[in-house]
Amino acid sequence: MIYMDNAAATRPFEEALETFEQVNRNYYYNTASIHPEGRRTGQLLEASRKQVLELLGLGGHGCVFTSGATESNNIAIQGVLKNKKQFGSTVLVSEIEHPSVINVIEEMKNEGFDVKYIGTKENGQIDLEDLGEKLDNDVVFVTVMAVNNITGVIQPVSEIAKILKNYPKVHFHVDATQAMGKVDMDLGGADTLSLSAHKFHGLKGAGALIVKREGIVRPVMYGGGHESGIRSGTVNLGAVAAMAKAMRIATENREENYRRVARYNERVRDAVSALPSVHVQPGGVPHILNLSFEGAMGEVVVNALGARGIMVSTTSACASKLAVLNETLVAMDNTEAIVKGSIRISFSSFTTDEEADILIEALKGVHKEIGGVLK
Amino acid sequence: MKYDHILVRYGELTLKTKNRKMFVNAIRKTMIRALEGLDVRVRANRDRAYIELFEADPYEVMERLRHVTGILSVSPVVKMDRTEEAMKETALKFAADFKPGSSFKIEVKRADKAFHLKTFDIQDMLGGLLLKNTEDIRVDVREPDYKVMVEVRLDAIYMYHDVISCVGGLPAGTGGRALLMLSGGIDSPVAGFEIMKKGVELEAIHFHSPPYTSMQATDKVKQLIDIMSERTGVDIRLHIIPFTELQTTLYDKIPDNISMTSTRRVMLRLTEKLAEKIDAQAVVNGENLGQVASQTLTSMHAINAVTSFPVLRPLLTLEKNDIVKKAKEYDTYETSIMPFEDCCTIFKPKAPKTRPALDKVLKFESNVDFDPMIDRALENIEIYEPNAKEDSDTFDSLL
Repeated sequence: MIYMDNAAATRPFEEALETFEQVNRNYYYNTASIHPEGRRTGQLLEASRKQVLELLGLGGHGCVFTSGATESNNIAIQGVLKNKKQFGSTVLVSEIEHPSVINVIEEMKNEGFDVKYIGTKENGQIDLEDLGEKLDNDVVFVTVMAVNNITGVIQPVSEIAKILKNYPKVHFHVDATQAMGKVDMDLGGADTLSLSAHKFHGLKGAGALIVKREGIVRPVMYGGGHESGIRSGTVNLGAVAAMAKAMRIATENREENYRRVARYNERVRDAVSALPSVHVQPGGVPHILNLSFEGAMGEVVVNALGARGIMVSTTSACASKLAVLNETLVAMDNTEAIVKGSIRISFSSFTTDEEADILIEALKGVHKEIGGVLK
Repeated sequence: MKYDHILVRYGELTLKTKNRKMFVNAIRKTMIRALEGLDVRVRANRDRAYIELFEADPYEVMERLRHVTGILSVSPVVKMDRTEEAMKETALKFAADFKPGSSFKIEVKRADKAFHLKTFDIQDMLGGLLLKNTEDIRVDVREPDYKVMVEVRLDAIYMYHDVISCVGGLPAGTGGRALLMLSGGIDSPVAGFEIMKKGVELEAIHFHSPPYTSMQATDKVKQLIDIMSERTGVDIRLHIIPFTELQTTLYDKIPDNISMTSTRRVMLRLTEKLAEKIDAQAVVNGENLGQVASQTLTSMHAINAVTSFPVLRPLLTLEKNDIVKKAKEYDTYETSIMPFEDCCTIFKPKAPKTRPALDKVLKFESNVDFDPMIDRALENIEIYEPNAKEDSDTFDSLL
């Protein structure tokens, strides 16, 4: 089988697996214990933290290890808004965010916050003019993802940060889950950032919340006080160290992989654009390619590709089983046929030239096979 | 811009004409140590130094030189032949990096007075060239955004526009040797940096009382030593004194309200003995007048009475926020505030006297013979050399 659903989860690097195994064998102690081995384990945790921040180029920031971006997003949104109530009650969120942002923000309505959605342009980027219009003195929180998980479109994070400089009480949260290890972005303007290890060849169950200053986030879960009290619960050091390792490998090879994956993306794009009734979405990071066979359900195409040994998904894996139209594609003003017919192909550094060739042939084959239903 | 050299300007040592050779040698040695592992060549002349960059990143080189004492400022420079063509070519490269809409000025220093172009000729030539060939820049001689310096020297011409201030002062080792009392708090590392600015070579002393004080507390002090050594380019040896026997004896035999004074006195006695042993001429600490009970003038007097060594207190009159600011600048703050028990916090008396009477202190101390305990402590010193490869490096394979 050829795996092309890397935006959902990536295959871990061998080196990351080795780190995970060795840490769990040799450093199984609690990172907060003060006996010699506990201290040593704590040192490994701190070395991991330092490495993660350095690789992000955010040496002066804080880093709270979590179970993944869903948890990081929850802490960032709920933990910051707890502090913000007295300053205002409007929250601005882009309409193309991941459910782990949207659903938390929606929940915040019950806490008395007004939620406003920032519009999206047809190219998949959020509409900065609309953001400018919606910003006012009551806004305390803005959240925009770095790279969209459905289309790969890169969002203008540093421009947003620049605009928000005029609104000092606004907290700017960026869900950088799909950006990490794929593209070099200036994320220094964000107050908090979310990451998930399994999106860059680390293991599931580890992630991070990067914070500009300690103290801007309050915990949403209480306990023994690990991770500066922001995220209590014994730290999953094996997965955390493996994440630091994976991040290093992904970052070191980022430019080269980007160029290689961009080549695959372009070739697939060129090949299918020529076919009738195929619509390819605007892109961003080359790792994600979203296209639609107009008239066929996305699920049908996914199944047909599956039968040819290629694993892709309809929209995002989290939403694949839901029967609602994908918000990102709707927000980009796509027709219902395009949204329903869309699939997401996502490459990784493990993808090869040969696999790209097979994919192109398979897409052509599927197109022929289901040609009867296409518009 | 591709820079090929870093220009290093000396601090106060330019005033010391007689000992200049010794100063220059000292600063050369420190710079080489601070730049260890980088692909550079250090050339220290009598009035300035040049670091030749081979593959090294100029900004890393400058960052490493920022806290080397004796350096006033550094500039990344381009060295070129003494021809008009070379000057023009380089000036255009500089201008290519100017932000649109910015202003510049050409400034010329002619160390070689015989050079065929006069100051104005060079300004005219380069200024005109840049205006003609670079879009959207203008000349401003009063407050330019970029001041392009052209230095005409006998061997070559140097061009630069950035001047980055460094710590100044005198080069390490030219001002004698002192022993720094390093507790692990915010103040003492700053006191160390301040004294080192004056060219004083440091060793440090730290007291630990296991099991009452934790290994983390000692690790923290080792980390501080690492930072200080790395920053200044001078290795600072740390002497870790086993203090448990003395600490518990003091706790047992001296009344609570003056035990703090006596503890400090015993520490200072030990410090003096070690200072003598390592040929230091002074003791340094981070005391700040009135900050805590042990740092009132009466307390200092009672504590100081045990030694004839000068006790240097470079932070004596500073405000606490200024000390914190310096600690952040020197990069020791984050480490200093890590919350571990040290000698000071664990046996802290409930109500220490802010005005301890020396005669009372002497009376109680006379009941205890501290000397053999002090000797035992000195015999069992653990020495830590900065940036010693400890096992934390083995994480490299995991991460």
